[in-house]
Amino acid sequence: MNEQEMRELFREMRDEPVPADSLTRVRASVDRRIHERLWMFVWKSAAALVVAGCIVGGFLLLRPGKASQPVRKVSAPEIAQVLPPAEIPALPATPVRPTPRPKRARPRPVEAVPVSIRIETPDPDVVILLVN
Amino acid sequence: MNEIRGEAVASFDQVLRRREAQVLRTAFRILGNWADAEDVAQEVFLRLHRRGRVFANDAAAGGWLYRVTVNLCLDRTRSARPSQELPDLASLDRSAEAAVLMEEQKRRLMSALALLPAKERAAVVLREIEGLSTAEVAEALGSSEVTVRSQISKALVRLRGIFNREDV
Repeated sequence: MNEQEMRELFREMRDEPVPADSLTRVRASVDRRIHERLWMFVWKSAAALVVAGCIVGGFLLLRPGKASQPVRKVSAPEIAQVLPPAEIPALPATPVRPTPRPKRARPRPVEAVPVSIRIETPDPDVVILLVN
Repeated sequence: MNEIRGEAVASFDQVLRRREAQVLRTAFRILGNWADAEDVAQEVFLRLHRRGRVFANDAAAGGWLYRVTVNLCLDRTRSARPSQELPDLASLDRSAEAAVLMEEQKRRLMSALALLPAKERAAVVLREIEGLSTAEVAEALGSSEVTVRSQISKALVRLRGIFNREDV
């Protein structure tokens, strides 16, 4: 068989029909797998939503403090009654003496004690006397 | 959103109906058996659906499908065992009747094709059987046109060699 004959044979093969059962199998299998993927996506999304809901719910329930305390009813703000100034009897006018301040003891100066130093010299007639 | 989704699904269905035979046939000619070809065809269309691709025209869809089909077939031939359910060349009956002879020649050619390296086989299938241009084959195989020409030329020489050996 030469090259030309081979090419002609290849050309003959070009339009050969494909087995119908193969086509049907491929089509069915593709459809099935696409639906499986869609369902898988739906299930995964639903599971993710449930998990996210559980996490948020758990967080809200377990949060300390405010969430579990009952809400206190807020009453109207109390307004202090303002009374008119009462008449105060006038006191007799007496000169106000300033209270005497306690005197602070002044530190006393230390009394100087006279100090004298006597220094003998070799000369018995000479004595040096240092006073203060 | 719904319109886009609807358009994408319609496009996918259109491509599936128009191109399923092409994908299946190409995969069969590269792989040599229908079971593997069906697996590859499924994977090709699932990839198409997963990507959500909408093609500008029919030629673009065809090019993308050829490329993915060939790549999946080459992956499969790399990982597959060398023994496949291809008919043995020597055991084929060489009938003298003309109609049968033609079929016989085709089968022998397919069997000889299966003995070629995977890339050369893919190049011959796309160029000679599917009738793509050299540029389209190069795009599908991810190689240059020069490489494709060289692969096809080598493949035809090898095929002739196989046939001549069998004819002796």
